[in-house]
Amino acid sequence: MEPGGARNSLSQLRRGAVEYCVLALLRDGERYGFELVRKLSEVDGLVTSEGTIYPLLTRLRRDRLVTTSWRESESGPPRRYYQLTDGGREALAGFTREWARFRDGVDGLLMEEGAR
Amino acid sequence: MTTVHTNEIVAAYLRRLEQAAASLPRPRRAELVAEIREHIDDALLEAGAADEVAVRNVLERLGPPEEIAAAASPPAAGTAARAGRLEVAALITLALPFVGWLVGIPLVLLSRAWVGRDKAIAAVLGLSPLLVGGLGIFVAGDSGGGEVGTPIESSSGGLGPLEVGMLSLGFLGGLVGAVYLALRLRRSAEPKELASV
Repeated sequence: MEPGGARNSLSQLRRGAVEYCVLALLRDGERYGFELVRKLSEVDGLVTSEGTIYPLLTRLRRDRLVTTSWRESESGPPRRYYQLTDGGREALAGFTREWARFRDGVDGLLMEEGAR
Repeated sequence: MTTVHTNEIVAAYLRRLEQAAASLPRPRRAELVAEIREHIDDALLEAGAADEVAVRNVLERLGPPEEIAAAASPPAAGTAARAGRLEVAALITLALPFVGWLVGIPLVLLSRAWVGRDKAIAAVLGLSPLLVGGLGIFVAGDSGGGEVGTPIESSSGGLGPLEVGMLSLGFLGGLVGAVYLALRLRRSAEPKELASV
């Protein structure tokens, strides 16, 4: 593996996982873009550039995992709110199961290697 | 307080974003810029300040405009669009004589699943009946006009067996182009699967 390979792999993992984190944040109700971005960037090491979340939100909408609607907010201008679709809920459930298996498998190997 | 100076910093950032996203379709680009603009407004509202330090912090957290634009445009992000109905329709129509020129090639050009070089190769292959046929007729006309006293087969009016052969070979061009593009699709799908593991 070339130098920086670990960083590369991590950024690919991150890219793959972030979209499901967005779906997870919408599980209990709608949120608007800025709120989603700030919640995600509160997680250490998950988001390096907040701006890249917006293209991701567009992709989720295009893939019909989320829908959007414009709404007045309590304070400030009208905002675009994101909601989970049934398809999004399914995708999230599937990823959650697979992720647990994946994480446990990788953890098992990494810890085993470290113990030797 | 927002000042002329901080407004100018934000405007410059958004201009850079607009330029970096030049390859996006216009509505998509406008939407992206509007979303980032709203984010900046929201973030400054939350920070309770809009001085230069606050503005620069917000922009820093957003990241370089080029990075945002790259995340928005599939080719730049290194992942070609997945093959859908458009690609299937393009491959089928490209393989058909005549239909390929009118429908197949435009569909191929519209698709985002292939890069420019593959599109050009497929277009040339698809158009090859025209090129080969044109050449054949040119050769036939030339030989017919040159020797008046030769046998009837090579008279300038009808197409000889040679020309018919060349034309039908030429029609295979579209088919070959379609097969080539289909193979390119599979190729681009494979590394993507590997990369996502």
